Amino acid sequence: MAENNVENLKKIREAVSQDLLGGRIDLLLGWEKGHYWWQSRPLFARTEEDLEKLTWDSFCAINLSRYLLDELKDFQKVGVLVKGCDARAFNRLLQDNMVVRDRVTLYGLPCPGMLDYDRLAEVAEAAPEGIIEQNGKVTIKTADGEKSADRDDLLADKCRDCIYPDPVVYDQLLLSPVGKKEAPEKFTAIEKLEEMSAEERYSYWEKELSRCLRCYACRQACPFCSCRECFVEQQNPRWQGRAYQASENFMFHLVRAYHGAGRCIDCGECERACPVDIPLQELNRKLTKDINQLYGDYEAGLDAELEPPLLTYRPDDPAAFSEK
Amino acid sequence: MPRTGVFLCHCGSNIAGTVNIDQTIEASRNFPGVVHVDEYRYLCSEMGQDIIKKAIEDNNLDRVVVGTCSPRMHENTFRKAAAEAGLNPYLLEVANIREHCSWVHKDMEEGTPKAIALLRAAAAKVALNEALEAPKLEVEKRALVIGGGIAGIQAALDIAEAGYPVDIVEREPSIGGRMAQLEKTFPTLDCSACILTPKMVEAAQHPNINLITYAEVEEVNGFVGQFDVKIKQKARYVDPVKCTGCGICWEKCPAKAPSEFEMGLAKRKSIYVPFAQAVPMVPVIDKETCLYFRKGRCQICEKECPPQAIDYEQQDEIIERRYGAIVVATGFDQMDPSIYGEYGYGQHPDILTGLEFERLFNASGPTGGKVVRLSDGKPPKKVVFIQCVGSRDKARGMNYCSKICCMFTAKQAILLKEKLPDAKSYVFYIDVRTAGKGYEEFQRRAAEEYDVAYLRGQVGKIFPEGDHLVVHGVDSLSGKVVDIKADMVVLSAASIARADAPELGRKIGINTDSYNFFNEAHPKLKPVETHTAGIFIAGACQTPKDIPDTVAQASAAAVKAVGLLSKEMLQGEACTAEVDEAECSGCLHCVAVCPYTAIDAKEIEERYGDGTLKRTVAEVNPALCQGCGSCSAICRSGSINQKGFSNEQILAEVDAICLQR
Repeated sequence: MAENNVENLKKIREAVSQDLLGGRIDLLLGWEKGHYWWQSRPLFARTEEDLEKLTWDSFCAINLSRYLLDELKDFQKVGVLVKGCDARAFNRLLQDNMVVRDRVTLYGLPCPGMLDYDRLAEVAEAAPEGIIEQNGKVTIKTADGEKSADRDDLLADKCRDCIYPDPVVYDQLLLSPVGKKEAPEKFTAIEKLEEMSAEERYSYWEKELSRCLRCYACRQACPFCSCRECFVEQQNPRWQGRAYQASENFMFHLVRAYHGAGRCIDCGECERACPVDIPLQELNRKLTKDINQLYGDYEAGLDAELEPPLLTYRPDDPAAFSEK
Repeated sequence: MPRTGVFLCHCGSNIAGTVNIDQTIEASRNFPGVVHVDEYRYLCSEMGQDIIKKAIEDNNLDRVVVGTCSPRMHENTFRKAAAEAGLNPYLLEVANIREHCSWVHKDMEEGTPKAIALLRAAAAKVALNEALEAPKLEVEKRALVIGGGIAGIQAALDIAEAGYPVDIVEREPSIGGRMAQLEKTFPTLDCSACILTPKMVEAAQHPNINLITYAEVEEVNGFVGQFDVKIKQKARYVDPVKCTGCGICWEKCPAKAPSEFEMGLAKRKSIYVPFAQAVPMVPVIDKETCLYFRKGRCQICEKECPPQAIDYEQQDEIIERRYGAIVVATGFDQMDPSIYGEYGYGQHPDILTGLEFERLFNASGPTGGKVVRLSDGKPPKKVVFIQCVGSRDKARGMNYCSKICCMFTAKQAILLKEKLPDAKSYVFYIDVRTAGKGYEEFQRRAAEEYDVAYLRGQVGKIFPEGDHLVVHGVDSLSGKVVDIKADMVVLSAASIARADAPELGRKIGINTDSYNFFNEAHPKLKPVETHTAGIFIAGACQTPKDIPDTVAQASAAAVKAVGLLSKEMLQGEACTAEVDEAECSGCLHCVAVCPYTAIDAKEIEERYGDGTLKRTVAEVNPALCQGCGSCSAICRSGSINQKGFSNEQILAEVDAICLQR
């Protein structure tokens, strides 16, 4: 990414500054560098100076579409930079009636996949201090020297199984498309879970979920979580007990996953946001897999016009739950 | 704190047999809010209801739990009793102890704790019950009958006679249905047309009946008392007001097509009435085969029509009308027996189904009433009837008995002997089933006086040999293989549901069974009602039946419809859904799943910062809501709650069961 990063960023900045300064949008959602070089955080740009902070590098993993939920309250016209996953998230919000299409301008950014600091450190076997990218290779600089690796081996988990790196919806496509990818591993973990006995699976999840801090970062990052008041915070009825214990953790995570059944766009933001590395995508993907099996292949977020299988009624819908 | 009374019914030994009444009653005393408990042998009896009423008054109860049978059975009984004692009926909860507990357990050790848990749950729920009021709904005093066969005609006549207007929607160009295709009717051998035609005419002339023929139901919305129906009137291309039914058009029409009425055994014209006694006597043009529509020339009918009734420009029209009640009487089809390769149906012109054979007896049928072989026009000497072709056949056909075949076969064998005294009939059967008034006698007459040979056994193969059809079967009573050199073979093909019955069911909101016949609400006690209030079924669309049963059921359905139409007002659903606008995020997924189109989007304004913000929320129309709960289930934030089944109430039940185990 690095070799043409300067050029790409220039293209992006040119396109969005024209719109922002020309008044076609009141706010641009993009990324800027964070405290560390390996972090790119959301940028809320309203002025030319703000736009100077705009970045597009290998660490722009954060899904920006969700920020529309708040920003559309304050700004009439909002522009968003969308990678494949941000674009699918936008379709999710559109289907949930959370955004108004003509108040949003989508700038499509085909995405080569984002890198993960932990993967860099793992491969470099030392604390990375910077990277140089060239021809699909990444050179990781550490205090001990340099180490080179294939870019594909350093991708963030959420990007490794990504099938749609190109935005599926946009008003302007700013860079050249990357093309659809294969993700043969997508359901491997789920198949393993399915092979377990019920007891094995229970203890697996008991172990994984025991780490949950109930910080709800997964919910905050998720484009399918758009309730005004999440069930976990409701007082009447009190669905979610406040106690920090396994059964309450199960309650939260299972209900969260079920709320995403047929709606999860597989962006992986929940898992990326989780500070204790709970494999949340496995819960989401299990439901996706089941729904595909029951109702035929459906990929949430690909097309806002396609009706989600659980929000439609067809006479020949399978009723597996009522069959013996 | 509520003042709750708990009443446990023994239901004879239905509950008391597997639930320890004393223990359960004692445990109930300790439920939160319970101030009174009692038990009785039959709570639903007048004595039992009096116990509840008296306890409400004496103990000033403001909540009641009854532990009885399913609420489907007696919820209304107890609600009424509570109301008579001055309590809002929705402050009473039924704990289903019989179906959910005592019937499914074998001993008291299991039954008793579960009964206690169910009562505890109901007591926890009832504490959160609110007084509800059922809305009053108007009744549109008009009925719709779908299907103009004998069932539909009878139902319409009865409703019309009771003084209510009724529309019959018939898909074909004429009413009459299957019965119009029959030559004679068993067991009296009345001429079918002679008894049907007067009814058809009566229906057509009745001031309260409006015939909408050549039309289909497109869409049904609304609910009992107020069904909004869209009916597609297919273009006839003939002006029914101008047309005199003179018949010149179909006489002159040069184009032909297989006649549906004659089961394809004869041709009709492209402009046609299905049969000579059609009602209304107004032809239709079949666009598919009409030369003018296909090739743009001909127009002979238009030129020849004396009153100039032909109108090629006619378009399909949608009729929109409101009805208070609907009777579904869409009849049945005959199974295509060609899946039974061994019988060779469709491969030889002398192998016919029962309904096809019937047409050969009819004076206006394909052979002018002469029973002859379709292959060579010669009268048959030996005719073999094969029963249960597709009926009572788990492997390849239908599990059920088609009910009418044994009788119509006996009838056809008798008619055959009367027409052709030299002809001999053989009937291969599994069992002869002739339950019905005069039926057994009729069948015995066929066997004893009309020389019909009944062979108990099955046919393995039918194959042509020279002029004949060799029927190779087994007479299982003698154990011998039988080869009959037949001239004709008649297959009693199963009576099956109309292929589009499930689709129609979906449009009107009633369901079908595994054979696609419409489901009655209760197999014994509600045989003409459906699970949708205000929609009734009659005739063979429910299950195969003969004419007497069909007529009886049609009249029963009519009585139900009339009973409904005669009401001034109907009670609507009290347990409707309501939206918490503060919580609702306006995703409107509830709109997508609502089967009654009772939910709409609504824009609200609320404070935001220094100003206001407009946003969308869901809104329930309580007149349309039927309280099914789909919206409440799909709502992730719990913003739609169903009155009487609120999230709080359900959770209270779950907690009451789980927390004190």
